[in-house]
Amino acid sequence: MGTVHARSLDPLPMQGPELGVHADDIEVPDVEQETKQEVLENKDVIVQQVHIDGLGRTKEDYLTYEIADVFRAKNLIDVMKRAHKARQNLLRLGIFRQVEVVIDTSQGVDALPNGLDVTFQVTELRRMTGSYNTMVGNNEGSMVLGLKMPNVFGRAEKFTFQFSYGTKETSYGLSFFKPQPGNFERNFAVNLYKVTGQFPWSSLRETDRGVSTEFSFPLWKTNHTLKWEGVWRELGCLARTASFAVREESGHSLKSSLSHAMVIDTRNSTILPRRGALLKINQELAGYTGGDASFLKEDFELQFNRRLIWESVLSASLWGGCLLPIGEQPTSIADRFYLGGPTSVRGFSMYSMGPQSEGDYLGGEMYWAGGVHLYTPLPFRPGKGGFGDLFRTHFFLNAGNLCNLNYGDGPGAHLRKLAECIRWSYGVGIVMRLGNIARLELNYCIPMGVQSGDRICDGVQFGAGIRFL
Amino acid sequence: MSLAAEAFVSQISAADPWPENATLYQPLGEDQILLSDCASSLAVQAYLRMCNLPVQVCCRPNAEYMSPSGKVPFVHVGNQVVSELGPIVQFTKAKGHSLSDGLDDIQRAEMKAYMELVNNMLLTAELYIQWCDYNTAAEISRPRYSSPYSWPLNHILAYQKQWEVRRKMTAIGWAGKSLEQVYEDVSQCCQALSQRLGTQPYFFNKQPTELDALVFGHLFTLLTTRLTSDELREKVKSYSNLLAFCRRIEQSYFEDSQAGSSSRGFSKGPSLF
Repeated sequence: MGTVHARSLDPLPMQGPELGVHADDIEVPDVEQETKQEVLENKDVIVQQVHIDGLGRTKEDYLTYEIADVFRAKNLIDVMKRAHKARQNLLRLGIFRQVEVVIDTSQGVDALPNGLDVTFQVTELRRMTGSYNTMVGNNEGSMVLGLKMPNVFGRAEKFTFQFSYGTKETSYGLSFFKPQPGNFERNFAVNLYKVTGQFPWSSLRETDRGVSTEFSFPLWKTNHTLKWEGVWRELGCLARTASFAVREESGHSLKSSLSHAMVIDTRNSTILPRRGALLKINQELAGYTGGDASFLKEDFELQFNRRLIWESVLSASLWGGCLLPIGEQPTSIADRFYLGGPTSVRGFSMYSMGPQSEGDYLGGEMYWAGGVHLYTPLPFRPGKGGFGDLFRTHFFLNAGNLCNLNYGDGPGAHLRKLAECIRWSYGVGIVMRLGNIARLELNYCIPMGVQSGDRICDGVQFGAGIRFL
Repeated sequence: MSLAAEAFVSQISAADPWPENATLYQPLGEDQILLSDCASSLAVQAYLRMCNLPVQVCCRPNAEYMSPSGKVPFVHVGNQVVSELGPIVQFTKAKGHSLSDGLDDIQRAEMKAYMELVNNMLLTAELYIQWCDYNTAAEISRPRYSSPYSWPLNHILAYQKQWEVRRKMTAIGWAGKSLEQVYEDVSQCCQALSQRLGTQPYFFNKQPTELDALVFGHLFTLLTTRLTSDELREKVKSYSNLLAFCRRIEQSYFEDSQAGSSSRGFSKGPSLF
């Protein structure tokens, strides 16, 4: 009996996203050595049976799409490659804690001499997992309860619930996710939520209660998301001293919008990429499906990364967007764009540039922002190959502008308005990667193109974010 | 901003004279405003007219949410925002305009007591009729209150408001009252006011005070607003001196300026004649 060790897969190139489980984990327990040995490499084989052991509530029919490819293998190396791919597919579903692969020669009455059996030994995730956190922020404490039910109906559906109870605000989110069998990237999600945000730069408090449904699907090299969202928005002043312009926006409104997002991402990592490009286009049409708010919002994000000598990376990004009100009603403060802060135009205070009233920033209907970064490893490379690789130093140059639309002037005037009085800044800082979702920055910034009314942050600025210029 | 700083700012701005562009905000006069808000708004307008302070009336569907206290009406004067009659009276006093300066301490205490009576009886009765009487709530209050909003927000907000008012009624012990009892309370309040007024032109003889403005606001609104039944209107009408009092204030403070000011028409609603 020739038992194959999955370790021999190591030299093969690994495709697809790394899920944090290394090929080493596939290792199966050693079986006692048999005296008869046969070299199977390059020999034609037939995969006769594929087993999945350890299934509980997962429906088998759902998994057949993921492992069907293994049957098409023609030789042993091919079997290992395809089994490895199938294992990655199974892990990607987010329903198994562990997947092990055992490849063995076929046994039984109808076993062919060159037949193989592939067995996936899986461990399912628990039916329900919970989490509990307490958070203390400035003048506010809250506790967060989370519940997750992976694979709730046996076909990789996921149900998540998060509830946060704070001394000031209560918020919750409930979501249901269902992928299409055999095509995990094509999926459907429904969300129900209530979130409360306080925006001191605008002296504004916003409570959103909403429902959204979204459908995501890949198309050629791009990923698309179609979404409908219905939100009941409640705006209010954060303090008695809020400007009258913000006070005028207080009250309830209903937004019902259809949106479409397209993403092409060829970067090797979302945080601190070394190569590749990103293009994100987002468009939202509100008002045609009911509600009080009606506008068309267009937004894009572009990023290029290029590797230079000595492991340094040159990165350039450009953002832009515009918001067109439809009909008589002016745009709401909650829909407009904001710019400035440690993750967009550095050297300015958070969302503190552009149109304002008595110190409260009202946002703009049109904006652009661009940045050029030169990322290098830390000087003298401390902690190289380990902790130190989470850090980079960067030199940056940011610029941007934000303004309101005025229909009398025509498009040429808008572009002129965006091109004059540009806000810009430059500086140097340290970036730290937090997992693969967020980053922290500590920068020394020198704001240059400051316009009257902008609030600047001259000198050291600290920021954290998941989206950054 | 700290309380001290806020107090300091209000002290500073108190010294400024009353500006020309002072504005009073209230819900939409035609389609949205309800009896109680209309009465409060009219009381403030009457008070400012008695003080001879010009104010422009501006109707906004979200006036209730714009107000710092969540109640209408409120005035925007310079960079200050003040809501409800009591604080507005204090605010004008800080600017040197007052109607009750000529009163002695006993009269001032009496005036305050009667103002409390009006707020506790008439205003509460108006709220009760609007939101706790099934027919009025279904036919008038909810449709009017929710008129600026689209479905399903209109239903949510109207029921939310109704629930809020009913909770308040339970808290003050009015929830168990019947409509007849509430009418009787209104009648008793009018009786008290009618006796206090007697044959004088105003409650404190020749000069109007904030009490006159408040009583006028409520009675005039009760007399001129169409509700599901006329019973309440008839009850108020039976006090002839109060009726004459309302006519007097309407004639001396609202009609002479009618030609010049277009805001009067929709701010006060129909006339008594």
